[in-house]
Amino acid sequence: MPNNTNTLNATCPACGLLCDDIRIEGATAHNACAKGIAFFTQTIANPQPLVSGKPATLEEAVKRAAEILKQSQRPVIAGLSTDIHGMRALTPLAAKLKADLQHINQASLQRNMQAMQSAGWFTTTLSEVKNRADVIVCIGTDIVTHNPRFFERFVWVKDAMFTDPSARKIVYLGGEKLDKTPGREGAWALPSRPALEGSSRGAADLPNILAALNALLLNKPLKADTVAGIAMADLQKLAETLKQAKYAVLTWAAKDLDFPHASLAVQQITNIVGTLNQTTRAAGLPLGGSDGDYSINNVHAWQTGKVLSDMQNAKPDAQIWVNSYNADAPPSLSEVPTIVLGNTNTPNMSWFSHADVFIPVATPGLDCSGTMMRVDSSISLPLKQVRESGLPTLAEVVRKLEALLA
Amino acid sequence: MITLLKGGRLYDPAHGKEGVQQDIYIRDGRIIDKPNAAEKIDQTYDLAGKVVMAGAIDMHSHIGGGKVNIARMLLPEFRNELRTYTEPEAHICTPHCKHHATPTTTEIGFKYIEMGYTAAFEPAMMPINARQTHLEMADVPLIDKGGYAMLGNDDYFLRMLTAKQDQKAINDYVAWILHATQAIGIKVVNPGGISAFKFNQRKLDLDENNAHYQVSARDILKALSRAVHELGVAKPLHVHCNNLGVPGNFETTLNTMGASDGMPMHLTHIQFHSYGTEGDKKFSSAAAQIAEALNKHKHITADVGQILFGQTVTASGDTMQQYLNSKLAHPKKSVLMDIECDAGCGVVPFKYKDQNYVNALQWAIGLEIFLSVEDPWRIFLTTDHPNGAPFTCYPHLIRLLMDKTFRNEMFDKLNLDAQAMSNLKSLEREYTLYEIATMTRAGAAKLIGLNDRGHLGVGAAADITVYTDQPDREAMFSKPDFVFKDGELVVKDGKVIKVTWGATHTAKPAFDSGVEHGLRDYFEKYQTIQLDNFKISEEELNNQVVVHQGKARAD
Repeated sequence: MPNNTNTLNATCPACGLLCDDIRIEGATAHNACAKGIAFFTQTIANPQPLVSGKPATLEEAVKRAAEILKQSQRPVIAGLSTDIHGMRALTPLAAKLKADLQHINQASLQRNMQAMQSAGWFTTTLSEVKNRADVIVCIGTDIVTHNPRFFERFVWVKDAMFTDPSARKIVYLGGEKLDKTPGREGAWALPSRPALEGSSRGAADLPNILAALNALLLNKPLKADTVAGIAMADLQKLAETLKQAKYAVLTWAAKDLDFPHASLAVQQITNIVGTLNQTTRAAGLPLGGSDGDYSINNVHAWQTGKVLSDMQNAKPDAQIWVNSYNADAPPSLSEVPTIVLGNTNTPNMSWFSHADVFIPVATPGLDCSGTMMRVDSSISLPLKQVRESGLPTLAEVVRKLEALLA
Repeated sequence: MITLLKGGRLYDPAHGKEGVQQDIYIRDGRIIDKPNAAEKIDQTYDLAGKVVMAGAIDMHSHIGGGKVNIARMLLPEFRNELRTYTEPEAHICTPHCKHHATPTTTEIGFKYIEMGYTAAFEPAMMPINARQTHLEMADVPLIDKGGYAMLGNDDYFLRMLTAKQDQKAINDYVAWILHATQAIGIKVVNPGGISAFKFNQRKLDLDENNAHYQVSARDILKALSRAVHELGVAKPLHVHCNNLGVPGNFETTLNTMGASDGMPMHLTHIQFHSYGTEGDKKFSSAAAQIAEALNKHKHITADVGQILFGQTVTASGDTMQQYLNSKLAHPKKSVLMDIECDAGCGVVPFKYKDQNYVNALQWAIGLEIFLSVEDPWRIFLTTDHPNGAPFTCYPHLIRLLMDKTFRNEMFDKLNLDAQAMSNLKSLEREYTLYEIATMTRAGAAKLIGLNDRGHLGVGAAADITVYTDQPDREAMFSKPDFVFKDGELVVKDGKVIKVTWGATHTAKPAFDSGVEHGLRDYFEKYQTIQLDNFKISEEELNNQVVVHQGKARAD
């Protein structure tokens, strides 16, 4: 809870949109969505370092962490929920420890990266959407589950330079249990057949649906009457809508494409955008994003030449769990010695006390300043400090740790 | 503490010194006068017979920012290949060529300084992406750096032109951008074309209008070149012309030289803009016409953007042309983006082949331009890294310029049809060490306005490279004996021995802060971040910042 009554402008790192119009006034975060409010009003539940569940000084905790890492042959630095500066501190540590790096959103990040690395893509950014998009197709997602203010900030706006915002067409293609209200009354839903209980078939049908749509755009007639429960006539109508659009945006959230070979769906989106761009203009827009995933992936790329990828070490024998944002997420491994560098606001302290070492660190954008990259990748924004917690930054803790490992 | 570099042969074109044997004294990172006899010399390097130049300056190299990082992300195979790389592609590159198209930030700093380069400038820093660009450059060790901010396709500027705002308003906006993005120069890429492509316009020539804004590329060049000049920014407007790569584009390039009403302009990677349409294949060299025009128009400078054979990746802000080039991608994939009502980008991997007619001729065209432009102060050595070739190929390129026999041997191995279309072998010129020093040091520093770099005079920063004179110029320029950065010995025998961090160079001309009224309104209505967050503070750069204060020039 901010402990002063001054007003200050803040940037919200709670999702990939990085809304920077947040005004913090006392205990209130104006303009923030529910996720943002939860972020800005979180408490400092446990500012005390722990060693084997018992209170310790920062020095004792760092010392114990160094001992664990010296014993380890194959450590992993996982979670990686931090900002650009946190990651810039972790890369040299990982190099020194020969540790693998794994982001908490590794699976969804990889869906997009694999698609991009096999076929490339043509994408756009949020200001282009706001000013240009006349058709927005939400593919297997309602967006707002991940990015609650998407429609408020970029779609149903008062002013746009090149299109009439109120005339935009919103289409929901595939997906299940979507919150379609933000798409407004005119939104058009093409739900695929319902998933079987406990499966995610609704989304898993997307590669077929998208392949059929691309075929229709290429004027290749299809014999079937339906694809995954969607009438071919409806898909044909969507194809016409896209062809008529001046600037169609096809958007998805990789987290919602949770099925085997999901990167194929992303590739199909790339294909559709490619087909449309032969005659009109269109672009893809990967949305979602959390825990600094896009920032971390970018820093990793410029410092190592590669995107974050799957683990190289088959069986890590120790882990550093870095978690500045997602306090609910427990460390990914439970069997190995664990050092947590994390957010203090966990509702469930049990796994903290099970960790061999817990060191609370400052959350960028709350306890300290920072920098993060927006979900559309080209824009990075400063994060502001909004409260005094006295917690050390991740970089400070890593430096102390490195000094003991030297 | 005083360091003495004793007895080297200085190639210092800023002071007209060509192989003059002279001692250099260094204190506190600067070159000083000969100290009086009472002062102690702490360290002496005997450089008898060695070639001594200022540290080289790459005035155009894509070393940071979104598209460079996208290239790394798109091409994991480049990193895998490095370990097992068995090319020299065909026979034209030598083992010194590393084909390092997507180096990490650390590798960029190391590879540059190990070749004797002490500064490099990112030429296409999109204002909205400037923070990322600087973050990446802050992770580049050893060398100095800076960026040119891209304007001319941003909707704010195009709206100003459509609204016929006066030159003063444009100057204020350009100055504001330099401050907000911590840039040292202004670049325009395919003037008006990146924006036009977003409106589904597929082609834009110099006198063609962006259909939405009803302004032409010429209008944009006029306004921006004048703004840069009147603000007193040293670096002339950096221009990537319309029609990159299009056969016949040399006419656009020639016309562009006359588009600025005599205001200085720098035409970048001009090789890609020097193509004719003669011959059976409707693709020919127009290097002679381009060089002749460059020789005539003294207000124009250019860098070449030489291509060299092998696998690389092209990364450009020119979405319109890169969309067309994506059909030629190798491997077959590319990333294109429309970005933030600001600009765009296109990242297209590419393999230049010596047996391919077009590629072979591109190679020859670049060299023809180098050899036909008379004034080495107005032509610059670049490969448009990584677009024509990775910057690590510079020593190879220097040998091509300095060694006619070597060059002709290479030429003889090219695609035969391309050989028939080039006059390269009739060009007898061999660049001298003095001319190389002009092109890569003195001229580059003068162009960018780095008054205390690129030369060896008293007061200069002690960025100094020492080579052993060898007939194989590629070997010579690949491996300096010593490199001093700000007076510190950082490279010995071609290997980094100490890691330091260079500065970021910026230009901060004065302007009327009233410019923010219009911008604030625009940001609130149309952009998706706050104006105050668009601006980058010096503190954010994580790096020493050098400000080059221009002096406003009345016309």
